[in-house]
Amino acid sequence: MGRTVSDTRIRLAMTPMIDVVFLLLVFFVCTVRFERNEAVYTLDLPQRGLTADPLALQQRALVIRVGTRAADAVSIELQADGLRERPASFDALAAALTRVRRGTAPEPANTGLFLAEHPVLIAPTRECGWQDAVDAFNAAVRAGFRNIGFARSGT
Amino acid sequence: MKQALARISAIDADLTPLIDLAFLLIVFFVLVARMSGEQLPAIPLPKPTDVAATPAGTARRLAVNVLSEDGAVVFTLGGERFLADGSGLDRLASAIAQRLRSDPSVPVDIRADRSLAYRAVEPAIDAITAAAANVGTRVTIRVCALQGEGGAP
Repeated sequence: MGRTVSDTRIRLAMTPMIDVVFLLLVFFVCTVRFERNEAVYTLDLPQRGLTADPLALQQRALVIRVGTRAADAVSIELQADGLRERPASFDALAAALTRVRRGTAPEPANTGLFLAEHPVLIAPTRECGWQDAVDAFNAAVRAGFRNIGFARSGT
Repeated sequence: MKQALARISAIDADLTPLIDLAFLLIVFFVLVARMSGEQLPAIPLPKPTDVAATPAGTARRLAVNVLSEDGAVVFTLGGERFLADGSGLDRLASAIAQRLRSDPSVPVDIRADRSLAYRAVEPAIDAITAAAANVGTRVTIRVCALQGEGGAP
C-alpha cells in the first residue's frame, strides 16, 4: 500500500518548464519595439555649400530670425525681399508663412510670393534655445515649405 | 566497499537540458548587451506645438545625441562619447564618416536636449556635414522632436 502512494506522487519536472519560460522571455525580448513617439524633420543645408549645384540659380532665402528667449517671450522676424514681419508667436509665424506661400489659397486670393520649394533658412542667435529653433522649423513645415535649413549662428 | 562503488557509478548526469539552458542564457545576455548599447538614450527632445514632422519609425538610422551633463555639452554616437571641444568634434566627425562609409544612405538624426542653446547643437550639424564631405556623399540630416504627449521624457 505504501509503495502505491509513493508511485503516484506528482513530480514536477522543472527543467523543461524553465526551458520554456526562457524561450518565451527571449521571444518577447526579440519582438518588443520601444515606441519613442519621435518625429523627424529633414534638413536642407544648401548654405553649408558641400553638395549644392554651383550652376544653380541662387535664390535668396526666406529668413526666419529667432532671438534669445527673455521673460518668456522670444523675438521672431521673417525676412525676405520686400517682406519684413515680426510675428508674436510661432503660430503667428506659421500663419504668416502660409500667407506668403504660393498655392495655399484658392484663386484669385492665391497671391503668395514663394513656392513650396523656395529655400527657407532658420537663423537662430547663438543663445537661442534649441526648442525655439525647432519651433520655427516646425512653423515652416506647417506652412508647407519643403527646403528648410539652419543658418550658421551669427549670420 | 562494493556497495559504495556501485552507488557512485549509478550517478547519471543528464547534460542535455543543462546545455540547453546554458545556450538560452547566452542568447539572453547577448540580446540584453545589445539593448544596453542602445544608441537612443532618453533625451528631453523639443516638443513643438502642432507637430508637422513625420514619424521617425524603426528604420536604421545614425543618431547623434547632444546632451547636457552637469552643464557641459556632450555628444554621443552609438555608445561613444565626444566632448564639445576641437578634438572631440574631430573624433565625432571621423566616427560619423566611418559609419557613413559602410552605409552612405543611412539618415543621420540630431537628437538634442530642448534646454540647450543653438550654439551647443550647431557643432553636431557641422560635424555631420564635414563627415559627409569627407566620405563624398550627400547625407540626409534630420532633426528629432517629440510627437504629441508621451514617449521619452
